[in-house]
Amino acid sequence: MQALLTTWKLTAVAFAIAFVLGVLITVMRVSPLKPLRFFGDFYVQIFRNIPGACLLIILVYAFPYLDIIWSYFTCVLIAASLIPAAFCSEYLMTGINAIPVGQIEAARSIGMTFAQMIRKIVVPQALRSSVLPLTNLLVATMLTTALASQVPLRPADLTGLVAHINTHAVGGVTAFFISAMLYCATAVVIGQIGNLIDKKVRILR
Amino acid sequence: MSAYAAEGQVPVIELRHVDKHFGDLHVLKDICLSVQRGEVVVIIGPSGSGKSTLCRTINRMETIDAGEILIDGVPLPEEGKDLAKLRAQIGMVFQSFNLFAHMNILENVTLGPTDVLKRPRKEAREEAMQLLKRVGVESQAHKVPAQLSGGQQQRVAIARSLAMHPKAILFDEPTSALDPEMIGEVLEVMTELAQEGMTMLVVTHEMNFARRVADRVIFMDDGSIVEEGTPEAFFENPQTERARNFLNSIKNH
Amino acid sequence: MRDARTNIRDALYEAPGPRTRRLTAVGTALTLAALVVLIALVIRRFYEAGQLDSKYWALFAKYTTWRYIGKGLVGTVEAALMAGTLTFALGFTYMLLRISRLKAARAVGTALVEFTRGVPTLLFIYFFFLVVPQLGIKLSAFLKITLPVAISASGVVAEVLRSGVNAVPNGQREAAYSLGMRERSVFLKVVFPQAFRIVIPAMISELVIVLKDTTFAYVVSFPDLMQNAKVLISNYDSLLAVYLVVAVIYILINYLLNKASDFMARRRNQVKGAAAV
Repeated sequence: MQALLTTWKLTAVAFAIAFVLGVLITVMRVSPLKPLRFFGDFYVQIFRNIPGACLLIILVYAFPYLDIIWSYFTCVLIAASLIPAAFCSEYLMTGINAIPVGQIEAARSIGMTFAQMIRKIVVPQALRSSVLPLTNLLVATMLTTALASQVPLRPADLTGLVAHINTHAVGGVTAFFISAMLYCATAVVIGQIGNLIDKKVRILR
Repeated sequence: MSAYAAEGQVPVIELRHVDKHFGDLHVLKDICLSVQRGEVVVIIGPSGSGKSTLCRTINRMETIDAGEILIDGVPLPEEGKDLAKLRAQIGMVFQSFNLFAHMNILENVTLGPTDVLKRPRKEAREEAMQLLKRVGVESQAHKVPAQLSGGQQQRVAIARSLAMHPKAILFDEPTSALDPEMIGEVLEVMTELAQEGMTMLVVTHEMNFARRVADRVIFMDDGSIVEEGTPEAFFENPQTERARNFLNSIKNH
Repeated sequence: MRDARTNIRDALYEAPGPRTRRLTAVGTALTLAALVVLIALVIRRFYEAGQLDSKYWALFAKYTTWRYIGKGLVGTVEAALMAGTLTFALGFTYMLLRISRLKAARAVGTALVEFTRGVPTLLFIYFFFLVVPQLGIKLSAFLKITLPVAISASGVVAEVLRSGVNAVPNGQREAAYSLGMRERSVFLKVVFPQAFRIVIPAMISELVIVLKDTTFAYVVSFPDLMQNAKVLISNYDSLLAVYLVVAVIYILINYLLNKASDFMARRRNQVKGAAAV
């Protein structure tokens, strides 16, 4: 149970960070400033394509060589947020790209300023059409937090606990199935909630 | 232009020697045009003649390369809050309606009054309902745009413009995206508006509307204003070869 | 007459006035400077930690290093392709179950999809690494990594395939039936070939996920890129450099795969667009 809580906690915190970071990166990517756009695109390409294990290992084992030493928990958290942040930004960009140019022109034509247009037209539409991808991302973030099993973490996360039980005692089949069911149930619940929200806010075009 | 100046009136919309290029394409060539208060001006011409672009330059949906655009005698600002303020005074109805997809019909109409004009929400809602009634879609007020027919959407778009109490409304081919059976209901609303004295600049292919409602018809071709005059004069007795060709080509349809 | 500002990124902004142009210029200069400073700081950090020292990077001048990395890469690619193939087979099976007319089969298909989608790859790896041997079954390291990776990706692939099948217009099926074709050949000859073509881009993206998951091969000591990197590190004592290079290799491969996926998607859209005209 402790392990499930660790997994949930990691997931929630990592997703929150990933979302904020993803929004920030997206703002950079749509900004009129070329260097920011470049940085945002670059970030997304790096973290969308790097394997989670690779990133975690670099954070845990390679960064100390740069005199950057973080706790295992911090490393897992960073790895499990940087990668989903890239995907988050991709989904938000897709949401923004789905907005027809006419919506922007209509907002301008009734005299909305740039800030009003962003707040009232662009952000709501982009967010609403990103509900399902973001739900999937939340599940993906949870699966990414299984990375925590690769470092000694106390209390251990769900995958780490199963690995631990199985290395130290026989009869881990049960442990495996229980934890798999717990992951799965969480994923299904998240998915259902996502579907519900999506049905409520989906934009008909 | 000078004729109006002599009368001492300031036109609501005035374009002076406007030029615009899209790359190598010269889409607007030395356009001079003015629209008086209460006047209904209809711009016609073959597609690609620049009439839609002309319409869109007036609230700076498109920029211009040279010349001047004046609204009520004041030059069109280039950017920022001033430009937004000015756009709030000029309505625009688009070919593709462009209702805000994530809002219901009522919210579409109240957004401008509450957020741009900062009017109280309740007041804005009441007026919006009246406007929706006037264009005949009040029963749809709580639906979202995608649930309405094209004709209904375009009437809502007109209501959205009216809610801003504009000095003039620009219509950019308002019926071109509509199924034939819905064109009538939109033109009807526009005709009523014209009769109530709204200042209108209409880009359209609907010749009957031009004939019936326009105070003045402007014929554009290849980026220039080729001919302008009263509907009777233009349709019965076009002065230029190009206008005659155009009118013949649409008659054959 | 509209200019081709189809990209919303640009459509968000109006043609700038003089003040906006000035602000943009200043902003561009400032952010550019910030970016340069950031890069400089990173480099300085490397320098101060002594990680720019040639002894850490010298190994990349040796042919043997690259051969070893290459070997690991081959291991990674083999594992990814094998896992990819397995994933496809599994996903296809689940998909068949999900579109079956039998309610029970559909339920099983859905359960399999939900299960494999909701469980982390690592848990499957540990299952094959720790639990399966306990049951007395001996698997090679290759299977110990490819099987769990394949299972873990199969649920998503099943869903992608199903969306492909759904995307084939109903008329295609009706037309085939009207020719007197039997259900089996309708699906084999008409529906699936079209569905597969539709999902090619999504499948390539899925390969990226599989490839990423194979990095866990070090858990089961299968000699993939990551595992070989570990060996290199113990031989040359330059951990940071090796891992960074390995990371770049992974990123480049996945980047290219994603580009390929985009390219296929675009080409498909173009073909569709041309057909519509």
